Order: sequence, then structure tokens, then C-alpha cells
Amino acid sequence: MKKLAASTAALMMLVLVAGCSSSSNEQASDVTELTVYSGRSEEFIAPFFADWEASTGIKLNVRYGDSAELSAQILEEGNNSPADLFLSQDAGSLGAIAQAGLFTKLPSDVAADIPAAYVAANRQWVGITGRARVFAYAPDRVKTLPVSITDLTKSIYKNQIGIAPTNASFQAFLTALIENKGTAFAKTWLEDLQANGVKIYLKNSAIVEAIDKGEISIGLVNHYYVWEVSESLGRAINAKIGYFAPGDLGNLINVSGAGVLKTSAKQKAAQDLINYLTSGPAQQQFVSDTHEYSLLDGAQSPSELPALDKIGAPSIDLKTLSNIKATQDLLIQVGLL
Amino acid sequence: MFTTLPAAFQEQPPASTQSQSGWRIALLTAVAAVAAISMIPFVYLLVRASDKPIDEIVQLLFRQKTLEVLATTALLVICVVAINLVLGVAIASGLHFVQLPFRRLLVIPAVLPLAIPSYVFTYTWVALVPSFSGFAAAVFILSISTIPYIILATLAGLRSIDGSQIEVARSLGLNPRQTFSRVVFPQIRGHVSAGALLAGLYTMSDFGAVSLLNIETLTVSIQNMYRASYDRSAAAVVSFVLIAFSILFVLADESIKGKSTQSQLLKSHSVKTPLVKKGYLRFATVAIITAFATVAVILPFYVLLTRFFSNPVAIDGPALVSATISTVSVAAFGALIALVLSAPLGLLLSGGSSRFANVTNKIVVIAHALPGVVVGLALVSIGSKLGPLYQTTFLLAFAYAILFLAKSVTSMSSSLARVPNSVKDVAATLGMNQWAVVKKVIAPIAAPGIGIGTILVFLTAMKELPATLMLRPTGFETLATQIWSFGSINRFNEAAPYALILVLVAAIPTFLISRPDKDTHSYELESTRGQK
Repeated sequence: MKKLAASTAALMMLVLVAGCSSSSNEQASDVTELTVYSGRSEEFIAPFFADWEASTGIKLNVRYGDSAELSAQILEEGNNSPADLFLSQDAGSLGAIAQAGLFTKLPSDVAADIPAAYVAANRQWVGITGRARVFAYAPDRVKTLPVSITDLTKSIYKNQIGIAPTNASFQAFLTALIENKGTAFAKTWLEDLQANGVKIYLKNSAIVEAIDKGEISIGLVNHYYVWEVSESLGRAINAKIGYFAPGDLGNLINVSGAGVLKTSAKQKAAQDLINYLTSGPAQQQFVSDTHEYSLLDGAQSPSELPALDKIGAPSIDLKTLSNIKATQDLLIQVGLL
Repeated sequence: MFTTLPAAFQEQPPASTQSQSGWRIALLTAVAAVAAISMIPFVYLLVRASDKPIDEIVQLLFRQKTLEVLATTALLVICVVAINLVLGVAIASGLHFVQLPFRRLLVIPAVLPLAIPSYVFTYTWVALVPSFSGFAAAVFILSISTIPYIILATLAGLRSIDGSQIEVARSLGLNPRQTFSRVVFPQIRGHVSAGALLAGLYTMSDFGAVSLLNIETLTVSIQNMYRASYDRSAAAVVSFVLIAFSILFVLADESIKGKSTQSQLLKSHSVKTPLVKKGYLRFATVAIITAFATVAVILPFYVLLTRFFSNPVAIDGPALVSATISTVSVAAFGALIALVLSAPLGLLLSGGSSRFANVTNKIVVIAHALPGVVVGLALVSIGSKLGPLYQTTFLLAFAYAILFLAKSVTSMSSSLARVPNSVKDVAATLGMNQWAVVKKVIAPIAAPGIGIGTILVFLTAMKELPATLMLRPTGFETLATQIWSFGSINRFNEAAPYALILVLVAAIPTFLISRPDKDTHSYELESTRGQK
């Protein structure tokens, strides 16, 4: 019994510690804190946050998570969300929040230099960085490179292709395919891929790793994953970036972006953070530190990569890619979700 | 420690006095509250699922993919439970019956894998074998993650058998195999089944291992739907498939338990079980435990240590310390809430056959099969309306209690069932009120078992990830969130220190559960009390 009493006492102490360490979200008359839900990983975005905190003196409470899960969380929170700003890896998660009417319209002087192509209709959210859809491949095993995404259903790539259907960038690409070629075409393409033994992965980095390991030879990913996987493994990997023919939907450009919650009482501070992330120096830092594209006109591209306007991206308005629901229904229908 | 009481022993207490009926009303009210709390995720799922038109629901439920995923889940659970039953019962029996060197210390490596989260197991095994993936790999990882549940449950069952029964069986000419199948097994069947239930539910709700190994179970499917689609209704609909499957599993467990013939009488004399000294059995037992410890403890530790020492990045000491304190405190808080919530239910379950208690118990157990993301979102939905309570450690601890209440309830009710009604009646006759009976008679006898249940909740809460990500206070990092954070960008070396600390910290309570001097736990305590 003594032991039980002692351990109960110990538990009570821990409870007190736990109770004290919980943070609160009090509003101050002067903004001293800002709450950010960040779908971008801490490792890559924290230095940007630290710079902004240092220059403004405002403390950031950052909640890191998966973009889509954070967006599901904001949707559940509705008007009670403690978030001021949502920073997402992809436009789809931002679109879901915008569609639910939870974002506020950003004034035209916020992120004013970001071209209109990368800003949502109604300015509900703005793009921060660009990422190109590419194919990654093992140069020693793939002799004939695909010219179009439709080549991937050919038998020479049988059992050699990897995709990540749960990944938002893949879904953005599929949405573009549906918008431009119709649902029937997209459905046939997916079914042909399945018939061609396509392998399913949870995320882009897993595809690149699988190519390096020799599990598959080619996969649909975002451009920076080859760099990121090589960086994290600390060695060169057996995977290269390839582009489809100019104008092919497989070369879609997608963005990471941010929006300010309608319910936030700190609109100005949140807008200021967006302005900082889209400023020249920060954009240049994204290019050099995270290997993403700057969205500013005439910006330098990541090392060893063609400029954003030289990729041969299809001329697709990102704003038309809001119908993620149809895309997901299709993925569910063919059994990829 | 895991069984509930066979019906034959569940006598209603005599003559209900005024205070006893008051006590019962208080107990029923408390259990109703526990039932309501455990219903939160189910109500949430019902509300979300009802957003979808009925024809879409039917289409979603009966599409080929749903059936395939259900089949994968069922096959995985069956394989894991089957391996668990064979290996777990074998290891536990070896530890209990066979004369071994350092016999009591050997329990520790058999139980230690409880301290290692399944996703850490997976990371380490992928590091050892780069091509490690697929169904067989998932069966392997989930088996080594869950065998300790069966070992613990079986050992608890074996320890409650009176050694004299085995001596009698031997003297009547039964060989060891006959003794096991006719005398031992019928008495431990309930315990083994309860351990298998926990292992099966763990397998159903696991996300980390199966997703990393590319196996799509119902939980992965549900999580993918949340992750990939903003269509939360579809995920809710599929959650009901998982719920239906877990109900089947719970009913199977109940029918097995109903047949068990465990005696509830306290042993007045602790007759030691005679130990088997046969050479080949001793060798086989040591070999099997060594093999298990190698794949489930030594190799994962080796990988973590190698990664730890080869990590070129300086370790962020303060972040590591603060994540450790956060993890331990919030998991302890959750275990404490689970302990408090399970007490009234455990008392009602052990105090007689109550249909209400049984139904509540089933709700609690089925909630255990739900993916963390479901419970997380249910509490986000409700919690965000609670103002200052939202995103506090309290709400997070509360989520842990809902997720893992089944662990503390099963051990609570079986520990309380060890207290014979005759003892309670005697205490009542001596003029003790119900509260005094609980405090002075029931609690001391049941305490060790209850402690184990609480520690199991604590251990599992420390490893929890999906609900933690959603419900933690903003900026609050646990060891699991840090491992996720580095793992998500493939920085496994940088995740290694956090994984290592998590395993080491979790090893302390795991050691307490398997502590050699706990070997003869509750009944010895009881017998000494009886002699005073």
C-alpha cells in the first residue's frame, strides 16, 4: 500500500507539471503571439519563422502536422479554430478550407509580387513556393524515357512504376487531368496503370527510396524529393529527375501556400508573416535551402534545375484545380483510396 | 489479471440495506458517465457518416476495395493472433513450469518489447533489411509487438493455478501434456483469450507499422481517407466496418471466456508449482526466449544505438529533456484518468452479473480498436467548442484514457474479481460500510493487478501519435511527435535519440510489470493477509 501511495503521489506531481505546461491562447491587446498551423515540416520552415520572430518581436506558436490532417482539424474546429494562419504543403488543403468559407480575403497589398496564376480566386490564399511534378527514374534501368503520362501504361514499364495516390500533389495532377481530358479518360488511365502493375506508396519520398533500392524504376513525384532523399541518406542515390514533353500534364506546377483564418483577431500580423515569406530574400532562401522554386518573376531556379518557365509546364490555372472531391471520388471508385 | 469472473461465482450480495442500494446507485451513475464518455467517438462517427447519402454509403461499404481491405485486416489479425497464441503460451509456460537458469530474470526480455512502439520496430527492421516490406513483414512486426500481452496474461493465469492441482494430476498418472490440456489450459483459457483480444485490437488499430510496410488495413484506409480527402464522411463510414469487425472479435473472446473454468478461491497455502527439469525442454525454452529477445529487443536496440552514435548532428539536449518530461507527464496523467474511469466499471463488473456493466465494457473495448485519428478528430470536434480546455494536456490525457481504457478495465475487473464475495460479506457483517470495504479489503488485494493495467495504459499512451498530433497544446512536443517530425523527412539518425529515450523510459515501467519479485504477486499477498 505504501508503494501504491508513493506512486500515486508521484503521478499527482506529474499531473501538476503537466497542468502547468499547458499553453493558453489568450488574446492580448497588442499582438505578442501568433498561432500557425504548419503542414510544412519543422526542419525546413523553422529558420524562416525564427527570422520573422526576431524582426517583429512576435512569438509564433507553431503546430506542426500533416497538411491534410491539419486541414481536417481546421474543418472540425470551424469557427472555434485557434489558428491565425494555415501554411500548407499543397493547394488542395488550402482549397478545402477556402471552400468551407473559413479563410478571409487577403488585401491586394499582401504578397503583391506573387503572380496572379499562383493566387486563389478571391485571394483566399496565396502561393509561397513552387514545386514541379516530374518523374524520378533510375538512369541505369530506364532506357526509354516516357514522353507523356500516357506512355506509363505501356508494357515496357510493367511493374516498374510507383505512384502515391494519397499525396496531395498527385491528386492536384489528377484533378488537372480530369479537368482537361474528362473523367472517363482519367479513369481509363488509372485502370490501365493498375493493369500495368503500378505500385502504391504512402508518400513521394518512399517512391524515390524504392527507385534507389531497385524495387521500381520510375515514379511520379515532386521535383525536390530526389534532392531531399539524397540529403537525408547523406549519399548520392540512383535516381534522376525527368520531364515529360513540353505542355504534358505530367509537368504540372503546384504550390505550397498560406491563408489567414476568418476567425483570427490578428489579421495584420498574419498578413505580415505572409509578406515576409513572399519577400525577395525569403524566396531566395527557399530556393537555396529547400530546393523549391521561388514564385517571383525572374527568380533564380534551384541548382541544376531549369527555370520555372522552361520546364514545359502545361498552361493550367491552379484556380481550376479546386474540385478535389471529384478526383477523390474517382480514386475511391477505382480502388486507389 | 485479464479475466472477468465466471458466472457461477457471481453471487449477489445478501440483504440490500439502505446504504448498499445508495452505493449501487452511485456506482451505476458513475458507470453511466464512463459509458457516455466512451461513446464520444461513436457518436462523432455517426454524425459524420450521416452526412453522406445512403446510396453512397452502401456503394462505399460494398465496393471491392472495402472488402479487400477487410480481408487483409482479418488475415493479418488472424495470423498475428495465431502466432501470439503458439509462441506466447509456449514462452509463458516455459517461464512458469520449466527449471531455468535465472528463471525470474528471463521474464524481462520477454516483456520488454512492450516498451518499443511498432513504428520504431519497423524503422529498425527496415534499417537491418532494406527490402523489409509486405504482409509477412507486417505479421512479424505486429507479432513481436503484441506477444508480451499474451505472455503477461498467460503468466497471470498460470500463477493463479494452485500447484497442488498439478501434483494431484501427476499422481493420478497424467503425463505433462495431459496435465496441461486437462488441468492447466481450461483454467488459463480466459486469460489467454483476453490477451489475444488485446493483441488483436492492437493489430486492428495500428497505423505506424502497416503503413510503413505498405499493407492496407482498415485503419490505414481510414487514415488515408482523412489524409487524402477532405471527405470526412467516407472515413467515418469505413470506420463502421472496423467497428463491426472488432465486435465479432469481442464476441468470440466472450464465448471462449464463458467456457473457462477458473477457480476464484483464494489460496490459503501457496503450493509451489513443481518445476520440470527435462533437458530438452530447458534447452527449447531458453532457445525460444533467446530468439525472441534477439529479434524483438537486441537487434532493434543495436540499430538505435548505431544510429545514435553515427548521428553527425549535435543532439538538442534541452529539446530532448523537455520532450521526455512532456511525454511522461501527459501519459501518466492519461493513465491516472483511465484508472479513475475504470474503477466504477471494474467494481460493477466484479460485483455481480450486470448487463449494463457488460455492455459498457464492450463499448470501452471496441473503442480500443478505433484508430487514434478517429478519437483525435472526435475530440477536436467537441474540444474546440470548450474554449480554454481545447489543446491542453488535460484534453490530450483524456483522449489517451478513452483510447486505452480497455487495458485498465480488463485488469481492473479481473483483479477485483479475485476478491471473493464471502470476504466482502464478512467485512460488511463486521460493520464496515461499502466505502470502507473497498478501501480496506478490496483495494489491497486488487492493487497489484490494477497497477499493471495502469502501467499498460501509461506505456501505450507514451507511444501514441495521431491523437497526440491533433490534441496536444500548440508547440508541445512529445518523444513520439519528435520521432514523427524527423521521420517524415527521412532523418532517421536525428530521430534515433528520441526513439532511444522513448524505449529506455518505457522500459522502466515494463521492468516493474515483469519484476521478478512480482512473480508471486497478488496471491502471496492475500495468503499472508489471511494468516494475520
